[in-house]
Amino acid sequence: MIVESEALIRMSAVHMVQDAGFSSLDVGNADDAIEILKDRRDVRAVFTDINMSGSMDGLKLAHAVRGRWPPIHLIVTSGLNMADKLPANGRFILKPYSAEQVAAVLSELFSSHPAPHRLFSDPGGNCAKVA
Amino acid sequence: MAPRPTSHSDVSLNLALAVIASSTARLLLLDGDLTLIAASKSFCRAFQIDPVSVANCPLGKLGAGEWNVPQLNTLLTAAASGFAEVESYEIDLNRKGRESRRLVLNAQKLEYGNDDNVRLLLAVSDVTDARIAEKLKDDLVKEKAVLLQELQHRVANSLQIIASVLMQSARKVQSDETRTHLFDAHQRVMSVAAMQQQLAASSASDVALRPYFTALCKSIGASMIRDHNQLSLDVSADDSSSAADVSVSLGLIVTELVINALKHAFPGDRKGKIKVDYHSHGPNWALSVTDDGIGMPADAANVKPGLGTGIVEALTKQLQAVIKVTDAKPGTAVSVAHTQIAAVQMGEARAV
Repeated sequence: MIVESEALIRMSAVHMVQDAGFSSLDVGNADDAIEILKDRRDVRAVFTDINMSGSMDGLKLAHAVRGRWPPIHLIVTSGLNMADKLPANGRFILKPYSAEQVAAVLSELFSSHPAPHRLFSDPGGNCAKVA
Repeated sequence: MAPRPTSHSDVSLNLALAVIASSTARLLLLDGDLTLIAASKSFCRAFQIDPVSVANCPLGKLGAGEWNVPQLNTLLTAAASGFAEVESYEIDLNRKGRESRRLVLNAQKLEYGNDDNVRLLLAVSDVTDARIAEKLKDDLVKEKAVLLQELQHRVANSLQIIASVLMQSARKVQSDETRTHLFDAHQRVMSVAAMQQQLAASSASDVALRPYFTALCKSIGASMIRDHNQLSLDVSADDSSSAADVSVSLGLIVTELVINALKHAFPGDRKGKIKVDYHSHGPNWALSVTDDGIGMPADAANVKPGLGTGIVEALTKQLQAVIKVTDAKPGTAVSVAHTQIAAVQMGEARAV
């Protein structure tokens, strides 16, 4: 799941994640992300920006996800280096990031749990559901 | 000021009284029981004490009793007995109807050779305004840091938006040539971004070139080299740093020369190496990008130069440097060098 308030960056992030072989879902703020996580069981990773409007920023979201949904992989991005503020096992990518960086982090995170390579199963059900 | 009747013939006491009277510092002279012997005019003025009331007044009864601070009493008594020192001791002076003042106290026991006539000189400085100014300065420094962070964040976000738009366009276009141009444009944006990241990571306004070029080449390599066993891209540089505007120009030159080498020097699946080198000596520096590829075509002079060549030429001129292309046998070496003497001559040539 991609959480990014800037529409153009979000669009591009979706393509990067899909080009890396994952299906994705995207939202514009942390509150929407939490709502989706409460409903669905198939989100395997959250890729979030830090600076976002709403009741929580990306860092709070990352900590909330680590606390409540511990198996979900976390990738956090920002224009400022916040690598030391991340929850355990979170990965940080400095903005502006490239498709190669996103692909590299995703493949590193999912290499320990190889199959199936799905960030998020598509609503149509074409992809295998992941617990 | 009204000194105590001069039962003391002591010369040094008279001297002390004279010094206190004329001092601009806020001074009190006390005896061993913390009874005032004298106060400087400036003390009386600063703390609204009637100079006439000073002599023989116990410290605790001075003014409206605001100097009756238990820990101050204990401390001064101990100082008078000689078993404590009062150095830069801070207290808050609270008076009715006035704002609290932060005071720094220094006390000195005056030695007369006998313990009967203990004298204690107390210097009082009011640091309230200085502390407020200091806090204001600290707040401004913090505010500046926050603004700078905000700015860096915005720059990074804007660069990400530009890079995203270019990538979206590259995905959509049909023509391979246009796609290549869009990818190159994307690479140039990322090159500027790498400089920005280096700048944000350091507290200085200069950019360390080795980590910058290394990050830059890693980014170019990640997006343009398919097989890293076939092609390698290495950076060697000394510990030079340069100003942000110079660095961004150097980075863009590196980007163009490396992209150029990757595109043209290794046709097919030719193996090879590209080396980026930067060294400086005083004001002089030299940047080179060397490959061991197929070398320049024989009719290079007739090939219409691309945007990359234009960028390198414009930036080289801006840096008052000279480009030199040599046959590296095998491959090509492009060097961009700045020497102070040549730059002065270039300046003169322009001025003519």
